[in-house]
Amino acid sequence: MKKFLFMIFIGTFSFLTLSPEETKAFESTYEPNDSGDVFIEDARILTGTGKEILKGSILISSNKVKAIGESLSKPPGAKVIDANGKWVTPGIIDIHSHMGVYPAPSLRSSSDGNEATSPVTAHVWAEHSVWTQDPQMPLALKGGITTFHVLPGSANLIGGRGVTLKNIWSRTVQGMKFPGAPYTLKMACGENPKRVYGGRNSEPSTRMGNVAGYRKAWIRAQGYRNKLEEYKSKSEEAKELEYAPSRDLELETLVGVLEGEILIQNHCYRGEEMAIMLDIAKEFNYKVTAFHHAVEAYKVADILADNGVCAAMWADWWGFKHEAFDMVWENAAIVDQANSGTGCAIIHSDSAIGIQRLNQEAAKAMAAGNRAGFNILPSRAIKWITSNPAKALGIADKVGSLEAGKMADLVIWDGNPFSVYSKTEKVFVDGLLLYDKDNPSTPKATDFELGIINSQENRL
Amino acid sequence: MKINKKILISFLSCIISFLSFSEELLLKNAKIHTATERGTLENSDVLIRDGVILRIGKNLVSSRAKEKDLSGKVISPGFIAPQTQLGIVEIELVPETRDDRSDIYSAGLSIDSAFNASSTLIPYNLTGGITLSLTTPSSSGLFSGLTSVFSLSGSLEESLVISNIALSANISGGEDSMAAKILLLEDSLNLAAITDFGLSPFISKGEVQNTKSRNNQSNYYKIYESSLPEEVSYSARDLVALKKVVNREIPLVVKANRASHILALIDLAKRKNINLIIHGAKEGWRVSRQLAKAKIPVILQPIDNIPNSFNELGSRLDNAYLLNKSGVTILIGSHETHNAYLSRQGAGIAVSYGLPWEEALKGLTKNIADVFNLDKRGSIQPGYIADIVVWNGDPLEVTSFVEEVYLSGKAVPVRNRSMKLKDRYINQ
Repeated sequence: MKKFLFMIFIGTFSFLTLSPEETKAFESTYEPNDSGDVFIEDARILTGTGKEILKGSILISSNKVKAIGESLSKPPGAKVIDANGKWVTPGIIDIHSHMGVYPAPSLRSSSDGNEATSPVTAHVWAEHSVWTQDPQMPLALKGGITTFHVLPGSANLIGGRGVTLKNIWSRTVQGMKFPGAPYTLKMACGENPKRVYGGRNSEPSTRMGNVAGYRKAWIRAQGYRNKLEEYKSKSEEAKELEYAPSRDLELETLVGVLEGEILIQNHCYRGEEMAIMLDIAKEFNYKVTAFHHAVEAYKVADILADNGVCAAMWADWWGFKHEAFDMVWENAAIVDQANSGTGCAIIHSDSAIGIQRLNQEAAKAMAAGNRAGFNILPSRAIKWITSNPAKALGIADKVGSLEAGKMADLVIWDGNPFSVYSKTEKVFVDGLLLYDKDNPSTPKATDFELGIINSQENRL
Repeated sequence: MKINKKILISFLSCIISFLSFSEELLLKNAKIHTATERGTLENSDVLIRDGVILRIGKNLVSSRAKEKDLSGKVISPGFIAPQTQLGIVEIELVPETRDDRSDIYSAGLSIDSAFNASSTLIPYNLTGGITLSLTTPSSSGLFSGLTSVFSLSGSLEESLVISNIALSANISGGEDSMAAKILLLEDSLNLAAITDFGLSPFISKGEVQNTKSRNNQSNYYKIYESSLPEEVSYSARDLVALKKVVNREIPLVVKANRASHILALIDLAKRKNINLIIHGAKEGWRVSRQLAKAKIPVILQPIDNIPNSFNELGSRLDNAYLLNKSGVTILIGSHETHNAYLSRQGAGIAVSYGLPWEEALKGLTKNIADVFNLDKRGSIQPGYIADIVVWNGDPLEVTSFVEEVYLSGKAVPVRNRSMKLKDRYINQ
């Protein structure tokens, strides 16, 4: 009898831990203070939905955008910000960052972005490497970054889970986690995995070895999922007599992808490799959400648009690797304009320098497209660094555009954000003013920066 | 009588060449950023004769010149890329495409023979507004090697402009004490100073067969080589390069970021009486007064404000502004060779943090020419070589593009491989 009860206990416990949505570890603890009412008036607004309001206002109430439009009335008691002559955009989102996992200063002791010990490490999570006191984060905030997505590096075929963070000061990574953002999984095509493992004379050492590696991993994931489903489908009586399949961290993540709960973020430079990755996704019935570093996306822009896959690109990086040799300045514009403008273009940084000015990177890509004959307006190009990355991170219902009900993440610029001379003046995250150029104690310095150059002052 | 005849002949041949070969080009109605004390001239003309700027002003006329109307366009001097690997690196992660490093030579590494005028980076960066590159090896030891100046003309035979104009060194990185590196820098200069090559082929021909030939050197060399630590050895070629620094024939460009390291180098330069240029200088703003007083110029990458090591914790975006305000001559570069032309974006960012626009332009052009003694280059003024770029707008603005490039007054194609790829795929 005792044994029977014990079996029930074990069975129930195991069953509860099987389903990813019931895994409560590492949940976001981020809760912003109430912003009260903030009224930004007379701004030129790029909404992130494709629209531009030449002179409009935004009402923030309790951390959310309450209203946006040309003739809003000022609620009594609201903090009023005169934005006459200024531009307002949604908070900028970088879909490809290694802040926290490759922090500054760049030291071996805190370079925690690549678990380069095995080509498939779907069991590691980037958030467990994040150093919240990375001084690169407040620099990015000054550049208008309110949300960023931290990925494991690209040494591995399947590198582990990525995490979406709010760009706020916090003692814990849980305190930065974007509430309700889905998990992501980093995969990598091409040179990096085959260089890392081929260099050790192990598989993969070729691109065909890479592809075999992805497929083998998905086959294992399918097997694990079948085992879970088989157990789930058993009668309660049968479950009591049998142990549930034991948890497998690696395969849980892969099954999460097959279930559509975890979004694939796929580092992939070459056009033909993107096409192959899409076929692998078809073979195993999952979706690639975005290709990152997609230097050759322009070669397959129509295929990407047909498949509803975003391409995250640089404006002009090239030549550091052979697979980055075919860069064109018009890449983002061609992706954006593919299939009658149904493409999904994203400008990303992968760089602590670039993340501080994604607006300029988008400006370069927009200008190149327009010189090639497209007619891409700032109201559309701003989507490349706001609503499109929000979409590819599965958070577009919460952030990425200035619409009633969304999180009040927004930036006030001192001029046209598509200019090298424009800088941010104020950056709001959930309606809270976290950077104000007139307040030298913002952004809040990281712990690292306190007294680090001379004991009297913070770093900058 | 014979002499007179000679004079007459040469005089006549002068006239003949003037009549038959002299070519004139008149660029009209442009906004001209001269990068000189004249600043920016609105709606003005540049007259070029035989590749050299003859006159600048309003309503210039010349009966012989080919005219080009540039209304609404902007002219700047061609930008100069300081400390790049243009022409000696094709793909960073493909070692066989790299000619920028050597374990055999250190200070004496001259990269002229490896320069590839057909590199795809050359027309690409020309398209970005760069006309001259100060191509510099990047070996990892204390001395990286010698800088040479190349035109981005793509010409197989005529790209080299001036050879071996500076010696580069790097005291950052590695695990040895910074103090040891500065001592070794000093000891190396001392050794070069007392090495007498006499009539050796290294001085007379500037050529060496191989490093082993050092055995043939004078006794001086053997004696004083032992004054260096055991693991350090220089070929005669290396010592010749160092000797040029000691003799103030060429400057020493040292990569250094921390304020205290910069001060140590200023002190060394003073004691050894050498021409010093600091490259990097991320904490330069903290010692800007000392740099200004010692008249030491700095090469900056203003876009890079990351405190990437404990030697650059003071990195900040207004570094260029603060240094310029203190009277330090600033030269502006890019932190990557493939996009060397993005030095202009860095310059624009420096402007947004307070650097006067004209100073930023000089940082990309005139200051580089002045500091490295590039004769008659880097600005638009009479007598100067007509390396000129025509823009559709503000050259420092990220949304502006190069429309035309003139090298020594000749229009060169503004085309590159990337553009051909774009043309293939844009309308597929």
